[in-house]
Amino acid sequence: MAVKKDYKDQQLAEKLRDRKYYIPDSNPEFIKDVEKIGQTAAHMCYQCGTCTGSCPSAPRSSYRIRLFMRKAVLGLEEEILTDPDLWLCTTCYSCTDRCPRDLAPTDAIMAMRNLAARRDIVPRNFLQTVQLIYKSGHGVPNNDANRAARKKLGLDEEPETTHKYPEYLPGIRKIIDHYGLKDRADKILAEGE
Amino acid sequence: MAEVKKNEEPRIGVFVCHCGTNIAGSIDVKAVMEYARTLPNVAIADDYQYMCSTPGQNKIAEAIAEQKLTGVVVAACSPRLHEPTFRNATKAGGLNPFRFEMANIREQNSWVHMHQPEEATAKAKDAVRIAVAKASLLEDLVPKSVPVEKAAMVVGGGVGGMQAALDLANAGIKTYLVEKSPTIGGRMSQLDKTFPTLDCSQCILTPKMVDVYRNEGIELLTYTEVEQVEGYIGNFDVTLRKKARGVITPAEAEARGIVGGGCTGCGDCVDVCPVIKPNPFELGMAPRKAIYIYHPQVSPLIYTVDFDACVKCGLCVEACGEKKAVDLEMKDELMTVKVGTVVLATGYDIFPIEKKFEWGYKNYDNVITSLEFERLICASGPTGGHLVRPSDGETPKKIAFVLCAGSRDSTGVGKPYCSRFCCMYSLKHAHQIIEKIPGAIPYIFYMDIRSFGKMYEEFYYRIQDEGAKFIRGRVANILEDPVTKNLHVNAEDTLLGRPIDMEVDMVVLAAAVQPTAETEKTRRLFGVSCSQDGWLLEAHPKLNPCGTTTAGVYLAGVCQGPKDIPDTVAQAEGAASAASIPIHRGEVELEPYFAQCMEEKCAGCGLCVNQCPYGALSLVEKDGRTVMQVTEAKCKGCGTCGGFCPGGAIWMQHFATPQIVAQIDAFLLGGEQ
Repeated sequence: MAVKKDYKDQQLAEKLRDRKYYIPDSNPEFIKDVEKIGQTAAHMCYQCGTCTGSCPSAPRSSYRIRLFMRKAVLGLEEEILTDPDLWLCTTCYSCTDRCPRDLAPTDAIMAMRNLAARRDIVPRNFLQTVQLIYKSGHGVPNNDANRAARKKLGLDEEPETTHKYPEYLPGIRKIIDHYGLKDRADKILAEGE
Repeated sequence: MAEVKKNEEPRIGVFVCHCGTNIAGSIDVKAVMEYARTLPNVAIADDYQYMCSTPGQNKIAEAIAEQKLTGVVVAACSPRLHEPTFRNATKAGGLNPFRFEMANIREQNSWVHMHQPEEATAKAKDAVRIAVAKASLLEDLVPKSVPVEKAAMVVGGGVGGMQAALDLANAGIKTYLVEKSPTIGGRMSQLDKTFPTLDCSQCILTPKMVDVYRNEGIELLTYTEVEQVEGYIGNFDVTLRKKARGVITPAEAEARGIVGGGCTGCGDCVDVCPVIKPNPFELGMAPRKAIYIYHPQVSPLIYTVDFDACVKCGLCVEACGEKKAVDLEMKDELMTVKVGTVVLATGYDIFPIEKKFEWGYKNYDNVITSLEFERLICASGPTGGHLVRPSDGETPKKIAFVLCAGSRDSTGVGKPYCSRFCCMYSLKHAHQIIEKIPGAIPYIFYMDIRSFGKMYEEFYYRIQDEGAKFIRGRVANILEDPVTKNLHVNAEDTLLGRPIDMEVDMVVLAAAVQPTAETEKTRRLFGVSCSQDGWLLEAHPKLNPCGTTTAGVYLAGVCQGPKDIPDTVAQAEGAASAASIPIHRGEVELEPYFAQCMEEKCAGCGLCVNQCPYGALSLVEKDGRTVMQVTEAKCKGCGTCGGFCPGGAIWMQHFATPQIVAQIDAFLLGGEQ
């Protein structure tokens, strides 16, 4: 376990925090869970960085998929699941296309998100997206600016979705309710207030 | 046919090996030994720490004498490892060595069932019981000796093939060196410099080429391919296709009665030839005519007509004049030579790296391969040694080198193996641009730098000191600026933990290597196996790296797997040495696993004759009947005829039907009769 020292100054304590890798900090089962859910041999990653090099998110954020792969192999479960960067993957699959070891880093990330969600660690915007889908059938519902743009392009103001056919909304809600997704999102959001 | 001593009572000795803990770690050796004692025909059973050791072997010899054994079973490792050892021990005990049978309880048992000791022990008992059943029916066999032709063949005239041919010829063996191109020299003659010494590649190669050409023991056959192979170690009959070259040598001219004629390499024909084609030696970056040589230092210096391109205008014939060297009506010729042993040195090709779309080769002008770099930086190359950007002819200042391009790639598009010499030549390339282009910076994108050879790590140190920039990260993709034709290299600097987008003037891909297209054809002709990735398979990766599983055929150079020049030359010398041994001994022993005709059963139908893949069978008249006869030296004991014979008249020595049936019975009946 990381050595803790009692500094009076909290800022100094954070700055001098012990960042070493300690075996007891790791969970050797974690990589197995990731591989089982993600269906990819994540332990075969040889850290070449093709993934981060391909990643459209990396240049604009602190998201480093290679680091997540590395931490997963090392079993740093806590560090991964509590890292907000885990949610910065756009799931474009460029890394999966190019990985020379034929791994699917995207699916490993999705698996780790899955594991985080089991512990109710999900960013609020993702949960709000669940609520929006429940309400309107869209993660990003139509708005006035979009309606104006559509009109200008000669399209109907509402797209051929639940916006135009709200009678299909109950079906979508039934699916979401089946997995208890909406109740879960409501609960986590309420607790976080 | 060997005598079957029908009345002999079998007495078998069983010896179970511990192999330290290799076997005893998961198999209860004592239990297997005790079990063996209960088996029919077993006179003695024993166990020992290492049966292959001298005391272990002595146990066998002593037991044969004391117990008057008729057969020996050793339950140990694979017969590929120690069958010869225990055969010798059996022979030392006074028994025919073919009365020995091996039960593999290591590779096929203890090593694969490491965590199932009970099941492994039960399986070992099965293996011993099966071996005892066969050993009870084994008979005396005598290996056959055949004379070895005092000549050898080397296929492939690169640096490996040349070295093997020189060594064989200098050892007093007539050697045929067969090369498909019009000249010897191979890949090495395309290189500019060699690492880590920075010797000029051609300067150290051409003396060898001249040696090969001048050596009286070498018959150099360029522009020639192997067409057909028959025979076996000691007696290969190889049919060669001498492709129509369209030009005759002075010796051939003399044979045709043209005094003072034949090609002198003057090149007058080239000046008049109207057909222009890309020169494959320069990877298509320079032109050649329909009548051509690859480069000025070719050996032999004889021009070649590309009949696919030639329009037969006859201008070259006129230009050649009285020498009458050009013959546009020339046809391919077949010739057959007899050799005792063969060395394959068929080399490699560059992996078509355009298959990895993300690096844009053949899509972006300024992305080139390392071999193209070699030609562009070489003083005798298409640009006279001035490295230029293909897009605009400008000198590049920032050059990215992409290592592991197509190597270490398990996607199925690239190659799973390390191509082994790319790290080192890319370091050399970095040195060359620093030396030749003032202010140029090489950026080397790498995963690992594998500088494993003698003075290689020191070379790496030197290049880093000279100013090469190293970025630890594999290149994810390359994009081209459509206006400037500059390239954006995207990767992660994994040491920094940050993605980078680097704009460079040129990218050099250190493309993977793969076996040549002809390798597959050649290996089938000679009956040599290949590994999953197409490289020719050595007999043993550590203990027999030059031999193959086909007796009399040896390997040299990259055809066996990626190698740099020192390793290629070393293996070539090893292969030449191995190939010379049967020739110097004068005769080889063949394992006596021949088919035998039981003449009283043979109906003379001749169906087996057509089935035999080795042409070893024929029909003969004997005592007024037609019966099949086996040419033992040609028979490989494959068993095709034995399994096929409708009358059951073919006896496969050492794998006879009663012996195999006894093994099956022993397995299925679990020892019950």
